[in-house]
Amino acid sequence: MIEIENLSVTYTAKGRSVRAVEGVSLRVAARESYGLVGESGSGKSTILRAICGLAPVSGGRIRIGGAPLATPRGAAFAAQVQMVFQDPYASLHPRHTIDRTLSEPLAIHGIADTDARVMRALRDVGLPASFRFRYPHQLSGGQRQRVAIARALMLEPQILLLDEPTSALDASVQAETLNLLNRLRAERGLTFLMVSHDLAVIDHMCDRILVMQHGRAVEEMARADLAAASMKTDYARSLFDASADRMLEG
Amino acid sequence: MTLLSVQNLKVTFDTESGPVEAVRGVSFSLGRERLGIVGESGSGKTMTGRSVLRLIRPPGRISADAMTFDGIDLLSATERDMRALRGPRMAMVMQDPKYSLNPVLRIGAQLTEGLRQRDGMNAGAAHAKAVEALEAVQIRDPERVMLAYPHELSGGMGQRVMIAMMLIPNPDLLIADEPTSALDVTVQAEVLSILDGLVRDRGMGLIFISHDLRLVARFCDRVLVMYKGRVVEELAARDLLRAQHPYTQGLLNCLPRIGGARGPLPGLDRDAEWAR
Repeated sequence: MIEIENLSVTYTAKGRSVRAVEGVSLRVAARESYGLVGESGSGKSTILRAICGLAPVSGGRIRIGGAPLATPRGAAFAAQVQMVFQDPYASLHPRHTIDRTLSEPLAIHGIADTDARVMRALRDVGLPASFRFRYPHQLSGGQRQRVAIARALMLEPQILLLDEPTSALDASVQAETLNLLNRLRAERGLTFLMVSHDLAVIDHMCDRILVMQHGRAVEEMARADLAAASMKTDYARSLFDASADRMLEG
Repeated sequence: MTLLSVQNLKVTFDTESGPVEAVRGVSFSLGRERLGIVGESGSGKTMTGRSVLRLIRPPGRISADAMTFDGIDLLSATERDMRALRGPRMAMVMQDPKYSLNPVLRIGAQLTEGLRQRDGMNAGAAHAKAVEALEAVQIRDPERVMLAYPHELSGGMGQRVMIAMMLIPNPDLLIADEPTSALDVTVQAEVLSILDGLVRDRGMGLIFISHDLRLVARFCDRVLVMYKGRVVEELAARDLLRAQHPYTQGLLNCLPRIGGARGPLPGLDRDAEWAR
C-alpha cells in the first residue's frame, strides 16, 4: 500500500542544510499497521509529512497503492490518505465549529449529503450529536482528538497517518483513543502508519515497527521480536530499556 | 523529620455559577523524601503543588486547617515572607518550558537574575554559578546555552534549564510539576536521574507531580493518588501494583504493555462515590 524507497528529506535554511531523513525505505501492506518509533529529531514525523507533501523531499521515491505521487498532492490523494496530528489543541481551527471542521472536506470534494455524514462521523467516534455546533475550546483534549480523527475519516480514506495521536492525552484518555483507532481500523480495513515515542503504544497498535535515530532507519522488528526483547541493535535495546513500561518490573 | 505538613487543604474558585472546589481536603506530610502525586487532568494535583507556594491567583483561594513548612506557618505568612521563602527555601519546576521561560531574554540573563538581585553577586560570579548549575543538570555546552534564547533550545534542554534555575538557590523543597512529560523516554530517564541525585546528595524534599503512574512508581518513595480534588489512596511506591483502590488499579490497567494482550484496553471507571 505504502512503498517508500531510499527517502531523503533535506531542509535548507540560511544557507545551512539539515538532513532530517536519510535513505529510509519501508513498505506497508494493505490493512497493516506499521509503527515508526524514535526520539524527537529522529525524522519519524518528517516521513509522514513527506508523504503528505509537507516536507522537501531531496531523494528517493514514495508510492501509494503502486502509483507515484503527484506534486502538489491533489484531491485524489486527500481522498486516499489523511493525517491525524499530535496536538489536538493546535490542529483544529479555533474559530470553526465542529460542524464546519467536519463538513469542509465534503464541500471541497463536492460530496453532497453533508448533514447525514457529519452526524454519522460524530457517532462513529463516540461523540454525542450535541457537540456538533460547539467550538474546540469547549471540548476536552480527548474529545478534540476524536474530532480530529472524525475529520480525517470524512473522505473515507484507506490510509491514516497518525503522528503521536495520544501523546498529548492522559493515560485513561489515551486508552479510549487507542481503542477507538483499533475499532475503526477493524471496521473499515484501514492501513495505519503511526509515529510514537512510546514503545508500549506502538507495540499495542502495530504489527511491524521501524526504529529510527538521527534520520536513519536503525532496525525493523516484528511485534513478536519486541515482546521477546530480541532486538539486534544496541539503540533499539536502549530504547526498550528506557521505556516507562519496563519500570513496573524494575 | 517533617519538612512540610498540610492538613485539610482546600482550593476554591469563586465563579459566576458558584464556588468550585478544585482541591477538597487534602492532607499529607513530607520529609526529606520523594513524594509522588498522581491523577488525571483536573484531579487537583497541580493546584495542590501551587498551594504550597501560595501561588493561587484570585478568584482562587486557599484554606487549610494547617500548612507548615519547616516550622513556618504558610497560612499566616505575609506576602513578603512568602517571597523570601520562594526560591531559596522552596521552588517549583513548572510543566512547560515553552511557557515558563521568558521568550525575549537569553537563558544566561534569566539564570543570573536571581543571583544578582537577591544575593547581590557581581556579573562574573553570577555567570560562573549559573554555568555550574547548567553543568549539574548535564548540559554539555553551558556557555552556548547561556547565550541562547528559549526557542533555540529543545524541550529537553529547556526543561533542564528550568531545573537548573530552581536549584541555584539550593532549596529544601522542590515541587516538580510534570517535569518530564514533554520529553522523550531516554531524556526522561536522564532528567529523573538528575533529580534523584539531587534529592540524595542535597537531602532535598521532592514533590513529583505526574499523570504517569509507571514513572512515579519507579521514581518516588510514596505516592498519593488524587481523584476530583481528593486523595483516594496513599501508598508506598513499591506497593503500587498491589493498589487497593479501584481508581488506582484502573489507572494502571489502562496503560498498554509491551507484549501485552492485543484486545481493547480497559477503560477507566469513574465512580462519583470515590469523590465524596
